[in-house]
Amino acid sequence: MVSYVIRRVLLGLFTVLLVLLLLHLLTTLAIQLNGNPALAFFGDHVPTASQLHAVEVRYGLGDSCYQQPGNPCLGPFWHRLSEYAHGDFGTDLEGRPLTDLLAQALPNTLRLFVIVTITWLIIGMLLGSVAARFRGRPIDHSIRLTSVLIDAFPVFVMLVVYRFIFTVPLTTWARRTFGSDSIPALLFKPSYSEEHPWLTLIIPGLLLGLTGCAPFLRLVRAAQLENYNAEHVRTARSKGLSNAHVTAYHIVRNSSVPVVTAVGFVFADALSGAVITEGVMNIRGMGNLLWQSVQKSDVSVVVGIVTILSVVTIGVMLLVDLAYAALDPRIRLD
Amino acid sequence: MTSAAVDLEVVTDQPGGTWATVGRHMLRRPDVILATLVSLFFIVVAAFPGLFSRTDPQHCDISVAKIKPQGFGHPHPFGTDPSGCDVLAQLAHGARPSLLLAFTVVGASLIIGIALGLLSGFYLGWVDAVVSRLLEVFLVIPLLLAALLLLSLFRNIDAGDGDFATIVQPAIVLTGFGWMGYTRYVRAAVLESKNLDYVRAARALGASDLRLMFSHILPNAIASVTALVPTAIAGVISAEAVLAFLGIGVRPPAISWGIMISSGAPWFTGGYPYLLLFPLGCLLATVLSFVVIGDNLRDALDPKLK
Repeated sequence: MVSYVIRRVLLGLFTVLLVLLLLHLLTTLAIQLNGNPALAFFGDHVPTASQLHAVEVRYGLGDSCYQQPGNPCLGPFWHRLSEYAHGDFGTDLEGRPLTDLLAQALPNTLRLFVIVTITWLIIGMLLGSVAARFRGRPIDHSIRLTSVLIDAFPVFVMLVVYRFIFTVPLTTWARRTFGSDSIPALLFKPSYSEEHPWLTLIIPGLLLGLTGCAPFLRLVRAAQLENYNAEHVRTARSKGLSNAHVTAYHIVRNSSVPVVTAVGFVFADALSGAVITEGVMNIRGMGNLLWQSVQKSDVSVVVGIVTILSVVTIGVMLLVDLAYAALDPRIRLD
Repeated sequence: MTSAAVDLEVVTDQPGGTWATVGRHMLRRPDVILATLVSLFFIVVAAFPGLFSRTDPQHCDISVAKIKPQGFGHPHPFGTDPSGCDVLAQLAHGARPSLLLAFTVVGASLIIGIALGLLSGFYLGWVDAVVSRLLEVFLVIPLLLAALLLLSLFRNIDAGDGDFATIVQPAIVLTGFGWMGYTRYVRAAVLESKNLDYVRAARALGASDLRLMFSHILPNAIASVTALVPTAIAGVISAEAVLAFLGIGVRPPAISWGIMISSGAPWFTGGYPYLLLFPLGCLLATVLSFVVIGDNLRDALDPKLK
């Protein structure tokens, strides 16, 4: 077990290194083909050569390899790695340290994730279990139809429709009926508000969770169906255990193994969804930060965020693997 | 030669049987037939937009801006947008980038995914180690983050005009981050079937590695991969709309449904709901029909559900 964990952590670190290298090669190529991102610092002004040089040195773009297309620029890559190893993630173009920016953005994204995960678990587990329990009946067919419909709705369509069609009449109605600072009025607010971080995040989180829950729902259904026909369930029933007991301990618990692993993979999906959700609903989270720095061509922030997000994803995948082993006694890690 | 011919017959005979069963299963379902008709309709629209609207979508006359839908027979049957462009013409011509992108991306990722999956499952060893690392690196970076990063990094590079040039950048990015699923499925299927008796027999008869891979092992993997294709097409169509919505996919003056949705959305409450509803309806109808086909294909091909 211990040696397995150590091997997985080392492999994970290696993957992080490869991800960093890939990102570095791509951004380097873009700089070489596209021109100097240090110019972005000056906006519309035309800097003198010495000003430009000062900025280039300040943001680590001074290396001459950035002017030679095809050069992999391994020197600056090594430099960045050693800075990351010391906990220095650099600054954005305005000089604010990346760690500060992340500290501001992270709580909102985490709140969004909490709401999304709860939505998944409740809707996915509930509807999936119901569909498996009543397999082949009308309720099963309607749940499957709903999951196909949800699948067909891209998350941004859901958000755009909600924001441009529903928020205005709903907010007007809630303000008129309950007062402008009441809970329903804040709930339907079309954009995020700093003072009420949880309330204004509930609906965007629900929508994002709803669009992601279709594959989850199908997985729960398939996993439970497999268990309904399993021999241990038949044994449990023939022992005379009650239906509720069999469902709770022999079916739902057993089918939770693939469900846990799915949470890990869907986590990476939710990161993508968060970019759109945070963009459309003006939530100041990681996705929004990333989107804004992409538009400002702030390379160091983009690389820093994607690095941190991929480290988190690798960590989640590792945890999922360990949880798999803990939940399923048949799996031995040696 | 004769022994090889016999082998081939045995191998191809079985999928033919499976495919016939799958076809019968699919044709019994009314929703599949409807979904197939809808997707065929949009494929025809994408291939021949001129059949549906004679108006040039790029020809926008501000003096006829914001005409509400008039019904067929009028010069602007679906009305015009705030800058006077004909909505029907835009809808018809907007289908092409989405569908062209979807088929290009899915085709290219299938080729990459199947090739890598076959190689890593067949040879194992260091080939498998390299492919698995590569797979993990691409899995760890979420598709949309990668698309955001790459498409904005390379946005100043002009690929030129023409249907294919407008989609080449999103196509490369979506393919680059879309092949992993196929590789995993193919690799798993190869591992399962490479030690089966008939494969050993073919190897003992002196069949080359390429022959073993393509005519003996690959047909076993095709079923599970096929079930992914319609869903993947739907996924790419909606990914294209997301990218266009974020302003980094297909960009104006080219037209796509995603662009129409993002520019039409703010007009919904101002009394022009059709500017959002028409492109949204087309997008949803296309995506939904591919999802329905994919869902039923998966059921038809899954031996566990029979």
